[in-house]
Amino acid sequence: MSEQTGKQLSKEEKDARFEAELLPVLDPLYNFAYRLTLDEDDANDLVQETYLKAYRFFDYFEQGTNAKAWLFRILKNSFINEFRKKSKQPAKVDYSEVEGYYNSEDVEGEGGVASTTDMRTESVQDLIGDEVASALNALPVDFRTVIILCDLEGFTYEEMAKILDIPIGTVRSRLHRARNSLKEKLEKYAKTMGYNS
Amino acid sequence: MESKFTEAYQKAPDEGYETDCSKVSEMLDLVIDGEATSEEEKFFNTHLEECVSCFESHQKQKLLKGIISGHLKRVIVPESLALSIRAKIQETL
Ligand SMILES: [Zn+2]
Repeated sequence: MSEQTGKQLSKEEKDARFEAELLPVLDPLYNFAYRLTLDEDDANDLVQETYLKAYRFFDYFEQGTNAKAWLFRILKNSFINEFRKKSKQPAKVDYSEVEGYYNSEDVEGEGGVASTTDMRTESVQDLIGDEVASALNALPVDFRTVIILCDLEGFTYEEMAKILDIPIGTVRSRLHRARNSLKEKLEKYAKTMGYNS
Repeated sequence: MESKFTEAYQKAPDEGYETDCSKVSEMLDLVIDGEATSEEEKFFNTHLEECVSCFESHQKQKLLKGIISGHLKRVIVPESLALSIRAKIQETL
């Protein structure tokens, strides 16, 4: 059934399919890259690298199969294999390191996060969005990844297993632990905001 | 009160046999992610009708997923990115 695999495409065919099938994934792919690297320039580089690889290996991509999952897989591998080394982020995104970073940025907010003035002037939606983002960013990268793939991008467990090269059982347990960890963080926030009394 | 979000997992008893509650608690993710079989879902829903604490755990787990999908802001792709990808591809041929 894979007669098409390895078939040499003409440059025109390749360019047309690249535009039609791969470039439309740019938005989710960039968002994924940003959530992995937590840096816009790094996300840019990672996405460019991903598309260059995808173009180079286009002959291996079977038309009609899941282009989004394929690109996410390439990006994830690039991130692990090469990118993480040269990235400004610490190679191992250690939870305490990232959290320390957040705490130091938010020093002013400590103790006064929910000051009533802020609540009136800022949209509550934005505050929630920001808090969700910091809680998510404070997770170890493996946890962050499964949450993004599942809850933000709507990949199935099977697709996630392929993207991450791990068994489905590992997808499940990782997702479970990631959610517990995220809950703890959001719960702290909910308490500060008085939602949890 | 201590932990609205995590209590669902903490209360699953760590015993040699599985109670319905612990089975349901293990199924939570499958159900909210749409990965449960129809049989599993039937068992799950039947149990929720008679168990308030599992019902609440399910609500919380759904809420968490909804918060991520509904409140996490997407970052805007720089306008130049698609252009520079195309340019890079043409020059590296
Ligand atoms: Zn129960």
